[in-house]
Formats: sequence, C-alpha cells, structure tokens
Amino acid sequence: MIWLIASALLFSIGAYGVLTRRTAILMFLSIELMLNAAALSLISFSKLLGSLDAQVVVLFIIAIAAAEVAVGLGLIVAIFRRRETTSVDELRQLRG
Amino acid sequence: MSVGFWEIFALLLLVGTGLAVVRLQNAVHAALALIANFLVVAGLYVALEARFVAMIQIIVYAGAIVVLFLFVIMLLSAANANVGQDLLPRLPWVAGLGALGLAGVLTFAVTRFQPPAEVPALGGGLPQALGPLLYDPEKWLYALLAVGFLLLVATVAAVVLIEPERIIAATSHPAHPHPAEPRSPDAAQKDERVVTKR
Repeated sequence: MIWLIASALLFSIGAYGVLTRRTAILMFLSIELMLNAAALSLISFSKLLGSLDAQVVVLFIIAIAAAEVAVGLGLIVAIFRRRETTSVDELRQLRG
Repeated sequence: MSVGFWEIFALLLLVGTGLAVVRLQNAVHAALALIANFLVVAGLYVALEARFVAMIQIIVYAGAIVVLFLFVIMLLSAANANVGQDLLPRLPWVAGLGALGLAGVLTFAVTRFQPPAEVPALGGGLPQALGPLLYDPEKWLYALLAVGFLLLVATVAAVVLIEPERIIAATSHPAHPHPAEPRSPDAAQKDERVVTKR
C-alpha cells in the first residue's frame, strides 16, 4: 500500500515539473517521471492482487515511452535547428 | 501493513530524486537525477516480485532512454544547459499547490483500495512466467505486435523528422540522391569542366 502512495507522490512531482519547467527537454524528463509513477502503481497492484498481467502492461509502458522519446527528441532537434531555442514560451505559432 | 525502516528510506530516496529532477537548474544534472530515480524504482520492482521488469527498467529506461536524453541535451544546448530562468517566473506557488492537491487526491483514492485477503504467488516475476502471457494469442500477443509496429513507426518518424527536406528531395529525384547537401568545391569544378567540354 505504501508504494501506491509513493507512486501518487511521484506522479504529482512529475506534474509539478511539467507545469513549472519551460524547456521542452526538461518537460520530457518530467513526463518520464509520471510514466514511471504509473508503472510503479501497476507493479504495486500486481503484487497486491497476485496477477502477472500488470507486469506485462509495464513492459508495454516502457516500450511506448521509448517510442515517445524517439519522436519527441526528434521534434525537439528539428525545432531547435529551425528556431535556435527549446523554450516552449518562445514557440507560439500554434497558439493562434 | 507494517512500514519498516527500509520502506521509509526507499520512499525518501524516491521523492528526493524526483524533486531533484524537477528542481535542478542544470539539465545534465536533472537527467542524472532521473537515472538515480529509475534505479530506485528498479530496486522497488525487485522488492515487489517483478524481477524481469526491473531488468528491463534498468536496461531500457536507465540505459537507453536517459542516454538519449543526455545525448540530445549535450548536442543542442551544452552552452545553455544551465537554464537560469527555466523555472516558471509567474505563479510558481499555484503549480506547487496544484501538485500538492493532486498528491492528496491520488493518495486518498489509492488508500480506498482494499486488497483481497488471499492472493496467488507471483513467483518472482521471472521471464519463464511472463513469456507465456506475452505470447498467448488470448492474452497479450496482438498488443505485443502492435507495440513492435509502434516502435518501428517511431524510429522511421524520428529519422524523417530530423532531415525532412533532404529526405523529400532524395525520394522525389532519384537521379540526384542528395541535392540539398552543400556541394563540395571539387564537385562544382567537375561540373564546370563538363560544361566547358560541351
């Protein structure tokens, strides 16, 4: 049960990071923290319920995080080449 | 459930490294703190009978993904990795209060959960137990195939995102594979020679 609370704390820390960081790479780091918290809660439920299915889902989370990081960092590199910045405050084209 | 010394210790390590990730000013230091956090979580996985997942966590997360992050941080912004004004200048307390509220709501939600009295043993979460689940067509086989396809698409997308102009040019003019590439002086001289011969 304490690890469910730990994963809730970790998820909140990641959310705080996404809200306060202004650099795209560091926001990505915080998103990884949140994904990790979700995986930790799944593993805790796997232990509490005695089911291995949650562990398989965690493997999928890790694979999807890898795919997301590949695409996200590719986007950041492309944006940096064009705009010389990774600060999300200076990228306002999508704001309308 | 009893809370012993090592549980408190691991919880402090987990929260401390997590706070370091979101508060450290230097991006490289934040990524290194993320590695520490992943290693702590991997230790928790071993304690929670998920040994195979812990191994994958160390190899893929703490190894590959964070190294990719570090690589991009150093490639892009080694000069301005120390982002002094990185933290939100306006209303940082609102974000802090929002995170605290979220933590409270989530903690309240998870403490409502009542685990059943008798649970089957996990057997350590070894690959021998996970493999049959993963490759069972009635369980996770199609999800596994979908994730493999997703990884393939993400790899191709990452390559395309880096150099879109060059790839479009290379695929639309097969006779000139790399027209967007700056031409070397030698190639330009060769072209001039060809032109003068004509």
